[in-house]
Amino acid sequence: MTTNRKSLRWILLHSGAGLAVICSLLTGLRIASLARPQVARFEELLPQGQVIELHFASAVAITLIVLIYIAYRLIGGRRAAGHAQVLQWPGWHRAIIRAGYPLLLLSLVSGWLLFAGGARGVRDLHYLAAFGVLVYLALHAGLYLARWGRQSLLRIALPYWGPRSLRRWMVGSTLLVFSVLLFTGVWSATREQSHLPLTVTHIPLLHPEHPPMAIDGRTDEPQWQGAAPITVYTDGGANFDEGETEVTLRALSNGEEFYLAVRWRDDTESLAHLPLMKTERGWQVQQQGFHNFDETRHYEDKFAVLLSSSCTFGAAGTTHLGRKPLKDRPANWHGKGYHYSSNGQLHDLWHWKAVRTNDMFLADDNFIGPPDQARPGERRYTAGYQQDGKESGAYVMNWQWYKPGVILPKRLPPDPKQLAALQSAGGDASEWVIPWFDYKPYSPKQDANYPEGTVMPSVIYNSNRFEGDRADVRARGYWQDGYWHLELARKLVTGSPLDVPINDGTCLWVSAFDRAQVAHTRHTRAIRLNFAPENSR
Amino acid sequence: MKIWQRAFMLTVVPAATALAALLHQPDFPQPTPHHFTKIDYNGNPLPHWSGPWACVCDQRTGLLWEVKTDSETIHDGLWTYSWYQENDGEFVAASSNPGTPTNGLGRDTFNIGTPNNGDCYFEDERCDTADLIRRTRKEQLCGEQNWRLPTTGELHSLVFTDAKAGQPKIDTAYFPKTKRGDYWTSEQGESLQKVYKHLRRGALAVSFVDGQSITIPHRNAAFVRLVTENSKSCH
Ligand code: HEM
Repeated sequence: MTTNRKSLRWILLHSGAGLAVICSLLTGLRIASLARPQVARFEELLPQGQVIELHFASAVAITLIVLIYIAYRLIGGRRAAGHAQVLQWPGWHRAIIRAGYPLLLLSLVSGWLLFAGGARGVRDLHYLAAFGVLVYLALHAGLYLARWGRQSLLRIALPYWGPRSLRRWMVGSTLLVFSVLLFTGVWSATREQSHLPLTVTHIPLLHPEHPPMAIDGRTDEPQWQGAAPITVYTDGGANFDEGETEVTLRALSNGEEFYLAVRWRDDTESLAHLPLMKTERGWQVQQQGFHNFDETRHYEDKFAVLLSSSCTFGAAGTTHLGRKPLKDRPANWHGKGYHYSSNGQLHDLWHWKAVRTNDMFLADDNFIGPPDQARPGERRYTAGYQQDGKESGAYVMNWQWYKPGVILPKRLPPDPKQLAALQSAGGDASEWVIPWFDYKPYSPKQDANYPEGTVMPSVIYNSNRFEGDRADVRARGYWQDGYWHLELARKLVTGSPLDVPINDGTCLWVSAFDRAQVAHTRHTRAIRLNFAPENSR
Repeated sequence: MKIWQRAFMLTVVPAATALAALLHQPDFPQPTPHHFTKIDYNGNPLPHWSGPWACVCDQRTGLLWEVKTDSETIHDGLWTYSWYQENDGEFVAASSNPGTPTNGLGRDTFNIGTPNNGDCYFEDERCDTADLIRRTRKEQLCGEQNWRLPTTGELHSLVFTDAKAGQPKIDTAYFPKTKRGDYWTSEQGESLQKVYKHLRRGALAVSFVDGQSITIPHRNAAFVRLVTENSKSCH
């Protein structure tokens, strides 16, 4: 059998395909573990870090190998394949190989559809196909190994090594170089050219007839009429119907400020942010996951925008999946991963919160930088995700110290009637925030006035506004008929070293949170700002 | 190896690996040892990630520090104080600094500094450092009675240059509610400079904006973090 070996090109193609498929499978399963607890159970077998970019690189590799293989079969590969029968292949080996083709094709097609923008069910199909590929790999490789042992490995690794004409050498190496160049070209095209363009329509700084832009969530100013919307499919979030929601974006700029109007579907308006409930033992924080920093039930709705001068996959390359992607830094509690910048670059993160920031007409201005040092006093390590400004700016939580059991509130309303509206219907947004001086410092005597079962908000505003760097992003949203409408504004250039300047080519990513602390929706391709020339209107 | 042996290996090894991964779930993060220990209101140590706590023991110096709150009690981090020291006659004799008789009651008491020129809710009049010291001692915060202002060196030991962007230069995980501002030390009698020159002497404060010490007039309203040594919970 040693005399009758596979050709070098077969070995290169087969090994390339094998490696790329295994890489796709492992990185894909890591991605799947974000929203599928059954996959997350096997997390220790899965790779960590910047797996998303790796997944797309291997996707490009498999796709090209498949195309090359098809071309090779069409142009005379048939002959070569015909007489390479050495191991006595029983028919079912061939059957397995044949079954593998449609599975791989399904993975590729569903993968590229997901990449293109997704739609309901595509992710599930892609996930199912991945399982098919896993079974295929096990059967295909497993049966060969069982039947032929080490020989089968030698056979796929050691090429036929006979005399070759100079011409064959030349053609062979040209093809190899061509394939490498092809991969590099297609991969960089995928990285650089796959963005979703969002046109930033220019409006005049002052217009004699138009009112100034009011950041109130309502896009009724005539200026918005000229902004072309784009719709981005996002999925993978907690609670949203099937975890998905479509986000519609419009952008304007007057040369000084940047305005973003956002609308996304969310069937419920969630404002009860980790409310307190009086039990027979005392006050308790209503939570289901908060202890592991992954609350998905008693949380307010939120929306986040990441801005960067980088357009790399995985939110400007900041997404590092897994429980402990950094060897020398603390792990995260939920095992999903965290954001940080691995090249020192800063990325801006606007974080609008339906209760904690909306009443102040602001969004939290955060940033993603290099991974922070470990801080022994802090239970949660947030890696590169940091606040711009001073400590917890304007809101504090109404507990002296969070515990899963009973907590002591910081403050209580002097009159139980102040909580009446929250006891039955849930109350509107303003009822879920406590102005500092409406409540009084906690006292056991006052606590005795509250019966078991009382619900109390836990977000206290202690001043009206964030100060300094953290107050750069103005934002206001409102919920109506199953949609959130949010308007955001920031200076194009703030001058703060922690803010990314906004200009032509800046990339952004958006995420919606449906009463979830971290389980947000996401999209694959960056949204790239395209500043329309000033004279276009 | 026979086919069945290989088949056995090829099924058992991956299956066992998968099973092991399924059964073994990774541990949650654990706290690492650190030189700060949280001490509760009664003087008992707490584990690193627990709370609430009222004091922090620094194992490097053996000092026990007051922790600020937002509880509107005497320890609220927003309150400010003018620098003021009530001295009995015997102490003044030993002091090299010129005492200023301020009470005019004719008692043999020499006091230094400016009383009642800071902002707090807990005194009928406005607040000074002596008020906070007196009340904290009386209250026996963390089981201690010897609360006092820290020296510059002591307060400097809390300066933490790796603080997060925009935060005071202190480890806020142990010292929450610290303001970006000046904190009084016990060292007074220093000559004032520049705009304050006409007031002649003031006391040293450490700024938690940049970790530097400066001399400011006694009458200024600055923050205070008290300290005690030889405490039962920190030595
Ligand atoms: C053998 C080939 C492949 C395998 C085994 C595979 C496997 C997976 C798996 C398991 C997931 C996670 C699905 C989930 O969240 O439940 C995933 C996600 C994804 N895959 Fe693939 N995949 C393959 C090829 C491809 C290809 C060719 C593309 C085309 C670009 C692609 C694009 C994607 C995208 C866009 C996602 C979603 C990423 C995200 O959620 O952030 N995959 N893949």
